[in-house]
Amino acid sequence: MSNSVISVISRFLEEYASSTPNKLKVIDAYLLYIMMTGALQFLYCLLVGTFPFNSFLSGFISCVGSFILAVCLRIQINPQNKGEFLSISPERAFADFLFAHTVLHLVVINFIG
Amino acid sequence: MYPFEGLFSLLVLSLVLETQALTPTHHLTTTDVARLQAVLSQPFTDLKSAYYSVVGLSKLGIFVADETCRFINSNLDPSSVESLFYAAEASQALSGCEIPVSNDTRDLLLATVSEDSTASQIHQSVSALSALGLPLASQEVVSALKARISKEDNVLAIILALQTASRLSQQAELGEILEEIEDLAARLDDLGGVYLQFEEGLEATALFVSAAYSLSDHVDMEPPLKEDQVIQLVNSIFSKKSWDSLSEAFSVASAAASLSNNRFHVPVIVSAQGPAAVSHSHPFLQLQVTDVLCQPLSSASVLVESASAVASKSAILNQAPFTLRDGVFELNFMASQPASGYYQFSVAITGDSRFVANHVELKVKVSTRVAINNMDLSVVDKDQSIGPKTTRVEYPTKAKASFMADSHQNFAMTFQLVDETTGVELTPHQTFVRLHNQKTGQEVVFVAEPDSKNLYKFELDTAERKTEFDSISGTYALYLMVGDATLENPILWNVADVVLKFLDEEAPGTIQAKTLYVPKPEIQHLFREPEKKPPTVVSNAFTALVLSPFLLLLILWFKLGANISNFTLSPSTILFHIGHAAMLGLMYVYWTHLNMFQTLKYLAIIGSLTFLAGNRMLAQKALIHLPLDTVVMFKHFLTINTCH
Repeated sequence: MSNSVISVISRFLEEYASSTPNKLKVIDAYLLYIMMTGALQFLYCLLVGTFPFNSFLSGFISCVGSFILAVCLRIQINPQNKGEFLSISPERAFADFLFAHTVLHLVVINFIG
Repeated sequence: MYPFEGLFSLLVLSLVLETQALTPTHHLTTTDVARLQAVLSQPFTDLKSAYYSVVGLSKLGIFVADETCRFINSNLDPSSVESLFYAAEASQALSGCEIPVSNDTRDLLLATVSEDSTASQIHQSVSALSALGLPLASQEVVSALKARISKEDNVLAIILALQTASRLSQQAELGEILEEIEDLAARLDDLGGVYLQFEEGLEATALFVSAAYSLSDHVDMEPPLKEDQVIQLVNSIFSKKSWDSLSEAFSVASAAASLSNNRFHVPVIVSAQGPAAVSHSHPFLQLQVTDVLCQPLSSASVLVESASAVASKSAILNQAPFTLRDGVFELNFMASQPASGYYQFSVAITGDSRFVANHVELKVKVSTRVAINNMDLSVVDKDQSIGPKTTRVEYPTKAKASFMADSHQNFAMTFQLVDETTGVELTPHQTFVRLHNQKTGQEVVFVAEPDSKNLYKFELDTAERKTEFDSISGTYALYLMVGDATLENPILWNVADVVLKFLDEEAPGTIQAKTLYVPKPEIQHLFREPEKKPPTVVSNAFTALVLSPFLLLLILWFKLGANISNFTLSPSTILFHIGHAAMLGLMYVYWTHLNMFQTLKYLAIIGSLTFLAGNRMLAQKALIHLPLDTVVMFKHFLTINTCH
């Protein structure tokens, strides 16, 4: 049982390393960074308590929001999905990503207190 | 607007006035009339004040000495219409005072009667002409007045026109001017249904009343004022009891004179002399019935239409007349043997069809003296094993022996309260039993209640009431207090001494006076506790930990070979990156210093620059991805377009 799981995982990692374009790997690294930051914030909140709650929420939501926006960018940039995003060029996707981040950061900074 | 003289309303007494038919709430008393006379009798300094004094006093029925004639003649200025007016009117009020009149004077006065003079000038010249006995053309005056009324539409001008019209011959066409009375009456302000006055003030209202009635009397037509309106005017004019100026006093005197003596409406003032109360010692209810100048009405006959008890609504009197004695109307109410209490009287004043407000409602109090009968005191054993010992005490003596009651006994008291003269049982409002401990100063008060047969009973259960007494044994003096508004002799009677014995262990050691006004304990305010924060070490450690994945990111990117080799140094790229960095910097500044509005303002500026630069940059980047021939065609297309 565990054997098949391990073999599935290792096969997945191989496929990932070989067939994913570099651009997407860059974004994946960014995604991993965001996730770790969010997880550490959550761990801190669990350990120490929710005071001040607004700051915790703002930081955590910032991580979650950034993660979501980066995932959107990844989807839109992926050449395998070109058929679904004919009107949106990668540059346009990146511009949207930047604009959405501006709005997200505005709200986050407002709420962080 | 008019100061309410509370002092004189007290003098006016407790008349309860019905709202169905309006009766005057304010009127002049004899003191007020005397004060009015005093104001008008002040020594005068010039012709105008002489006019006000002389004519005002003549309206009140007082005639001034003849030296005034010399004063008038010496101060007269024959070239001024106003001066002639004052002199002529004043001399007419004096007996045997003649003003020399020359042809020039007459011509001057006649010339003033025209459409070009003001209403006031016309009034003065016409009054002077008629006072001096000179002929005048009434029709010309009427047409001049009509023209002036339409030009000067203010209240005072119309009032003067009314006054002027009352001096003209009765054959002149005064109909249109007469209609002005109704128009002016419509302009009066109704305040709370009690007052009716012009916004121009007391003087205007008073002058209106005297002008309206003098014109109505002159043409013998009833003025279009309803009874209620007349009473409201009376309230307005006579509510002010001290007058600011001579002209104001004059106007009040004119109004009072015209209201007390005209052919149509004479308001009647009814006031009780002294309090409206009767008793066996004062059996007569006395009423003063006067006109507004406090002069008794000679032709009046006063009748009680109905008198009924307020409590039981049973009628006592019906159509009983008052008899006139020494200018006061009186009625022997005690002859009808009313029980004590309050009675509602409905009084009608008849005798003259001109009387206004001649139905008055009065509340009359009948007082009596109370007597205490059959005061029996006893000490009853609770288990009824020993029969009660009853002692009778006669008012106002005190029981010789004191009564002893401890926790096994009750102390009881019964008595009857009756009317001294008739023997009818009474239930006054206040029947209290007071026990006073002379040594400690304690006082406990109980209420004695009557039973169905109007026999008063008071029982003191020593054991039950020990909290009121604080369980302090001792000698208590017992007082009976009886009082009521309709009793002439309230009673405070020390009936007996009562020795109360409570269980000794319950008595407090020292008697403490009730402390109501000592400082209370201070309240300490508890400020909100700040929330518990983790130690700084922990939070610092975690800050470092949270920032650490960034290092991991850089390492991963380096390993993946992410680079900035495609970085073109075009202006839009540089501008874009600077703008983007500026936006991030703005976020930090927002966190530390700014508020949302300022941030949005800066963000708009920086954002739009960044957007434009970024758009350019990304468009250039996008072109690189397109196949070469498409790029050439695109550029060709652009150049074609820009040539035109």
